[in-house]
Amino acid sequence: MPAKQLLGVAGILGFLVTWELIPRLGLIDARYLPPASEVIAALIVDFGLTAFWVSVGETMKAWFLGLVIAVALAVLLGFIIGSSSFLRKATNSTVEFLRPIPSVALIPLAVLLFGVKIESSLMLITYAAFWQVLIQVLYGVADVDMVANNTAKTYGLGRMARVRYVVFPTALPYLMTGVRLAATVALVLAITAELVIGSPGLGREIALAQSGGAISGMYALVLATGLIGVLINILMRFIEKKTLSWHSSVRSEVIV
Amino acid sequence: MNRRFIAVLAAASVLGLSACGSGSPSSTGGGTASGTAGGGSDLTKVSVGVIPIVDCAPIYLGDKQGFFKEEGLQLDIQTATGGAAIVPGVVSGSFDFAFSNLISVMVAKDKGLDLKFVANGASTTGEKGKDIGGVVAPAGSGIQSAKDLAGKTVSVNNLSNIGDTTIKSVIEKDGGDPKSVKFVEVAFPDAPAALANKQVDAAWILEPFLSKAVAEGGTIVSSNFVEMSPELDIAGYFTKADTISGKAELTQKFTRAMNKSLEYAQAHPDEVRDIVGTYTKIDEGTRAKMILPRYRVEFDEDAFKTLGDAAAKYGTLTKAPNAGDLLP
Repeated sequence: MPAKQLLGVAGILGFLVTWELIPRLGLIDARYLPPASEVIAALIVDFGLTAFWVSVGETMKAWFLGLVIAVALAVLLGFIIGSSSFLRKATNSTVEFLRPIPSVALIPLAVLLFGVKIESSLMLITYAAFWQVLIQVLYGVADVDMVANNTAKTYGLGRMARVRYVVFPTALPYLMTGVRLAATVALVLAITAELVIGSPGLGREIALAQSGGAISGMYALVLATGLIGVLINILMRFIEKKTLSWHSSVRSEVIV
Repeated sequence: MNRRFIAVLAAASVLGLSACGSGSPSSTGGGTASGTAGGGSDLTKVSVGVIPIVDCAPIYLGDKQGFFKEEGLQLDIQTATGGAAIVPGVVSGSFDFAFSNLISVMVAKDKGLDLKFVANGASTTGEKGKDIGGVVAPAGSGIQSAKDLAGKTVSVNNLSNIGDTTIKSVIEKDGGDPKSVKFVEVAFPDAPAALANKQVDAAWILEPFLSKAVAEGGTIVSSNFVEMSPELDIAGYFTKADTISGKAELTQKFTRAMNKSLEYAQAHPDEVRDIVGTYTKIDEGTRAKMILPRYRVEFDEDAFKTLGDAAAKYGTLTKAPNAGDLLP
């Protein structure tokens, strides 16, 4: 195994050993931080429960739908706004104002509009993920090489053709970065929305475990969300590598 | 080819294993949640918002016993994490009926939302020291009764709600100064830890965490519900006044089924303990030992008035509520 992978595994093992020792040595009360072995045992039990996978499915559904809607909206608006300097200047302050608003502040609004259903999670996920992708698409569109654009114009390519052959390839790396960031944000928001609002998914199971005093179970679910995050990250990097296989950032160096 | 075959095999075995396992994640005692089978198409769908706590056991029990189906209702029980999601849910029509404590609905009515109770939810047991909630202090802290809480930090789960209202009222009754108490917000599951870490001097804790806190060496300083009134109703099922007038028959059916469920729950405490295990993650040991609330049909109007007056006195409400407006 290459040294890099070994170090990674060693890091994880070190973390688990520390986690095991801290409650056992009494540094933190074991009632409130169960040792790693207990939590991992609870997680393995969870893997055999249908209800657990149903919750994972609900979270993934909310994550995926929210991400898709956000990306679609952001690509559309990003290209429209980015291609007109008037629109860019007009929307700049609005975007900068709306962007830092934490999605969790919209929770009361989401509850009022959609109640405890998946739509309230979707509202929060889409709101947060949208800005990530929009900013990246705006940068991408602004990064278009003027020489290439003018050459295309000279060759008689219309607006749509120019978008397809000049603007889109330039913006694609930025877009993929945006999607990768948005994917992480979307997962965080999905779990948070479910935790606070109670819409179906892993977050709700975490709240339920906490309110019932099942501390090991709660930590097991938290671990599960971490594992999902890792999987999503690997998936996103794989997608990025495939779609950008032609781009110099992928071809000229190895991304691990 | 070989690797792909192994991957498919692994996926199939995971699916197979998970199909065998019933119960919900991280429930240490888990029973099987009895899902109400899709009834005939002549059942009216009613969505009810509840909080997954012990107090809501009657509706789950009634659903399981079929009381709601007998009235032609198909219950869709949705859990919310707290009152903040429940009241907007009722107002927006997401829930036909919902469960909430008396003060939350009084506050909503005080702010202009036209809500009304249709059925009782949970009441105090009336026994000092054996109630579902109490103010707990660590052993040897010197806090013996309610008036010793003056000048101390007490945690409640929500500020300006039933916890601090009843505690302030009880302190004043006992001869202490309620204004000198500092209330902080700590959720019930976190309260025993806050007590152990000395972040608060005393904590208001409800079952199932009350028994745990007492078992860990805490002493119950005050059974605030009982000392407020031994007949205090804590929570109930409510809805919009529009629903009561516009869907009168549905409301009556729900109320009848709910009342039946409450009486059944009061008569069968063991079944209550079992059903609590299906919708919460409370383990079997705690379930067996925890104190159950009193479930009954009638609201006590005197206790209601005492509570409402106290809430108005301590500023939670602008004026004392009218029992006729809020109670069925």
